[in-house]
Amino acid sequence: MLTFVIFSLKRAWQGFWRNAVMSIAATATMVLMLLLLAGFWILQTGLQASLDYTESKVEVVADLKDNVKDEEVEPIVERLLAMPEVTGITFVSEDEALERWRTRLAEQGEEDLSRYLDVNPLHASLEVKLAQADAYGEVVRALRAEQPVVEKVSEQQQLAENVVTVTNVLSTAGTVILVVIALIVLFIIVNTIRLAVFARAEEIEIMRLVGASDAFIRWPFVFEGAMVGLLGATITMLALWLGSEPLGEFMVGFFQVLPLTFGTLARDLLILVGGAGVGLGILGSWLSVRTYLIR
Amino acid sequence: MPFLSTPEPFVTLSPAPARSIRQRLLGRTRSQASVERAVLVLHDVTKVYPNGKVALEDVDLVIPEGDFVFLVGPSGAGKSTLIKLLIRDEVATHGSVVLDGQDLARLPRRHVARVRRKIGIVFQDFKLLPTKSVWENVAFALEVTGVPRKRIRPAVDRVLALVGLTAQRGQLPSQLSGGEQQRTAIARALVHDPRLIIADEPTGNLDPLISWEIIQLLLRINDLGVTVLMATHNADVVTALRKRVVALEEGRIIRDEVGGIYHRVD
Repeated sequence: MLTFVIFSLKRAWQGFWRNAVMSIAATATMVLMLLLLAGFWILQTGLQASLDYTESKVEVVADLKDNVKDEEVEPIVERLLAMPEVTGITFVSEDEALERWRTRLAEQGEEDLSRYLDVNPLHASLEVKLAQADAYGEVVRALRAEQPVVEKVSEQQQLAENVVTVTNVLSTAGTVILVVIALIVLFIIVNTIRLAVFARAEEIEIMRLVGASDAFIRWPFVFEGAMVGLLGATITMLALWLGSEPLGEFMVGFFQVLPLTFGTLARDLLILVGGAGVGLGILGSWLSVRTYLIR
Repeated sequence: MPFLSTPEPFVTLSPAPARSIRQRLLGRTRSQASVERAVLVLHDVTKVYPNGKVALEDVDLVIPEGDFVFLVGPSGAGKSTLIKLLIRDEVATHGSVVLDGQDLARLPRRHVARVRRKIGIVFQDFKLLPTKSVWENVAFALEVTGVPRKRIRPAVDRVLALVGLTAQRGQLPSQLSGGEQQRTAIARALVHDPRLIIADEPTGNLDPLISWEIIQLLLRINDLGVTVLMATHNADVVTALRKRVVALEEGRIIRDEVGGIYHRVD
């Protein structure tokens, strides 16, 4: 068994270097495809993160009736917090609401209109943050049920629905594109390796004729495919690492949000690129050699 | 287990008595002792390819241990198909191909490789690996079948001495003459100690003088006890040697005679 493994590894190493041109071509293809895959995966992750962020901004605002006491509000807050769709509630008092208004006017460079007010016309309100935008309806219903305290629930239904629709379309489209790219990458890599194996069809034929078992024919090629995959994945990770600084800046710049940098993605990327590289290398060799073994 | 060890050997193959084979065997001049053990027995073999082409039809052939057999016939007569059946590259549509007591049609796929090691094959185009030396090409046959390293060296040295290539052991095939390349291929075929050497047009690419060298080598190997089956178009060689000749035409054996010549005498 050990003899067999050593034999296979040795032959894989020899095979890689004896057909250096084909091996390098296969590795280069592998690197390009893995970069493509990694690039789209990063875009998809960034997109998903920014969509999550947008979704988290969706909230339900309930204006409360005037002069509602804290004791009346507290049980409502507790009931709402018990709902799994709700991630947080902010109570904005009448004074705070007025203060916010003043701040906003100041930011916009407008005159402070509150000076002309005798009384504070604004309501206290509850701002309910949602785990997901599509939980909007339920939270609205729950708030409306609190008739004695809640004056009205602000009508942002349309906005919430739009956000949900856009989010779903974008993340579905992103996933579909990623899967399509993964399939294309699979196809191209398998075919490149197949070419490399075809170049050695005679060697495989001789092995068969002298009575080599299928395992002795297959495994050197499979190890060789794994080597191409590993080398390709290593080069790809190196390239991504070198490009991570500008890439990180681009991502923060492009998606406007989120501290999405190479560091936080590195582990997932390593698994994706390494797994795809080695996996595709092995799969490609296995399928290619199989053509010769099935007789 | 010797396959033909009883007076009624063919009962094990098929309930129907194989009359033609027995007649042929009885008509032969060889001693009964050498007939007792057959390396190869084809019984009622028919091969039809998926496209409907009938390549072999009702072929009966027994090759006893130590025999030297020429397989002759025009192109397309079924010689290549016959050889493919022997190395189990193809499987017979009907009938049985029994090599050294094993029915190839009933052989599980995982045992095919082991059975192929009982056969040494030599081709017209040598099929040597261009990047390996003579020694490595021969050793390759043992390496890829999992033979331990310490047994490879003496075995390779021995067969290279037998075919007279000890001096050229380090050279690449491209540095060798055609005859030397074919001798390398023969050494590779021999290194497993096969029961049967199948030579498919081994002199097809060689000039007459070198062809005779190769034939002499095959005869010497035959003298050492290895059975040889040689497919050839070389009429001079066949006629001169007066060995057993099996002639195929349109997938049938039309002639099987000991001391035969290349062309049929009408």
